[in-house]
Amino acid sequence: MNDDIIISFKNVNYRYESDDEEISLPLAIKNFNLDIHKGEFIAILGHNGSGKSTIAKLSNAIIVPESGHVLVNGMDTADEDNELKIRQTVGVVFQNPDNQLVATVVEEDVAFGPENLGVPQKEIRQRVDEALKALGMYEYRFSEPHKLSGGQKQRVAIAGIMAMKTECIVLDEPTAMLDPQGRREVVKYMQKLNKELGLTIVLITHYMDEAVLADRIIVMTNGEKVAEGTPKQVFAEEKILENAGLSLPDSARLASDLRKKGMKLPDGILTPDDFINAYSNYVNK
Amino acid sequence: MLRDATIGQFFPGDSYIHKMDPRAKLVFSFGAIIAIFVCKTFESLAVVTLAAILCVFVSKIPFKTIFKGLKAVIFVIIITAVIQLFYVKTGETLVEFWKIKITTGGLSNSIFICVRIIVLILYSSLLTYTTSPTSLTDGMERLFSPLKIIHVPVGTLAMMMTIALRFIPTLNDEIGKIMNAQKARGADLGNGSVINRAKALIPIFVPLFVNSFRRAYELAFAMECRCYHGGEGRTRLKIMTLSWRDYISFTVLAVLYAGIIILNHFFTHVI
Repeated sequence: MNDDIIISFKNVNYRYESDDEEISLPLAIKNFNLDIHKGEFIAILGHNGSGKSTIAKLSNAIIVPESGHVLVNGMDTADEDNELKIRQTVGVVFQNPDNQLVATVVEEDVAFGPENLGVPQKEIRQRVDEALKALGMYEYRFSEPHKLSGGQKQRVAIAGIMAMKTECIVLDEPTAMLDPQGRREVVKYMQKLNKELGLTIVLITHYMDEAVLADRIIVMTNGEKVAEGTPKQVFAEEKILENAGLSLPDSARLASDLRKKGMKLPDGILTPDDFINAYSNYVNK
Repeated sequence: MLRDATIGQFFPGDSYIHKMDPRAKLVFSFGAIIAIFVCKTFESLAVVTLAAILCVFVSKIPFKTIFKGLKAVIFVIIITAVIQLFYVKTGETLVEFWKIKITTGGLSNSIFICVRIIVLILYSSLLTYTTSPTSLTDGMERLFSPLKIIHVPVGTLAMMMTIALRFIPTLNDEIGKIMNAQKARGADLGNGSVINRAKALIPIFVPLFVNSFRRAYELAFAMECRCYHGGEGRTRLKIMTLSWRDYISFTVLAVLYAGIIILNHFFTHVI
């Protein structure tokens, strides 16, 4: 067993139960294997219905695999005794911030996790303040959640997970319901948590421009892993992405279109910065 | 109509009453409300009424707000008064025509009941005006925690209340959105007869309910992710402590009861 691995999916199959007992639904996750290392920033890309959200729920024992195993720090999620420990290790932030906040005041919402764990009062205070400061929401601690913007609500939700001292945060399309401003905020703090605090981040998304920021990208189609690698490796496989119903990040697509027109741009352009550098080099030459 | 009603609203402030422990406020309000029903004479009722007015002064809540709250229940008060006036037939007859007879007993009874209802609303609305919903539920949870011995899930009930309160503004926004969506499709809301207006509510409430169930489902997942496993073994961010303010309120309540009992004993009973 490798100590460096925080979540390990081993030959995982999962099938949702159908309302009608006669009909058995197809597998939502097929023979899925993945090792997530501590401190890593992983992006899981996929189209709607590709099974990427199911991965989030599998990762902290909300659902357990039909066959195969999910191990969190070596603990099997199928064992109910491990449940609380697993959820203290891996936290999940969902898409809709409105449906995750429990309390009527920001700081009480962040305290919800530690309260459930029976953390002593003094330490709750400390954890709540730390988490809110890390997400830049400290000055809003007495606000009511419904008065915050979408991006701010989502940051409160992330703080709520952080306050449980989880080592890994899985974000299931955290920016899907946000405006561009809110999306930038959430992405910024996600990177900060990963780089500065060393938290493992698993970002589930269909925004290419967010996935580019990750150390490693997993592409999923119909419950299967179809590609895996660094952003440069994955975005070089245009065919696979196309089949997965995904497109290249904006900058990469622009570069690729220009290449087709005969402009000699280097490979591996993914972010706007990459593009600007490559383009100014090209123009200056 | 609902927007005018101030009952149940919270007005932030820093008065003596705002600063009281929610548990003490709950005990005081319920104590005072029971006291209203212990009153049997106008004199004792006057004492409870004066105490209520004093509380309003201390709370610094403007009387205008209080009256607004009373306006919402004016019909209840009038109907009760009228019924008392016609049905109680003790004492001397004041007016008599056809089958209706108004007596002094009926008159004093109906005044008594009116004052009772008004004071009752005064005390209960003062509680919600000065206590935030969160601290109110927290207070209730702690006040009723002894019931855990007989297996009443106090923590779970308090959690339910907190969530309900948390989702009121969210669902309110959603109603607005659904109404606009239905109006955009040509729905005619708020026109026509009562039956038509009631029918127009169906296309608003059906999506609202469906969405609420979806929300509840997602919320349950999110709560599980944050290790919620019932009220057992939970700790709290905020700890409540009783202060001198609260002990004074208990003393006031005791004095109030003593006064009522004495006045009940020495003056003529109305009811």
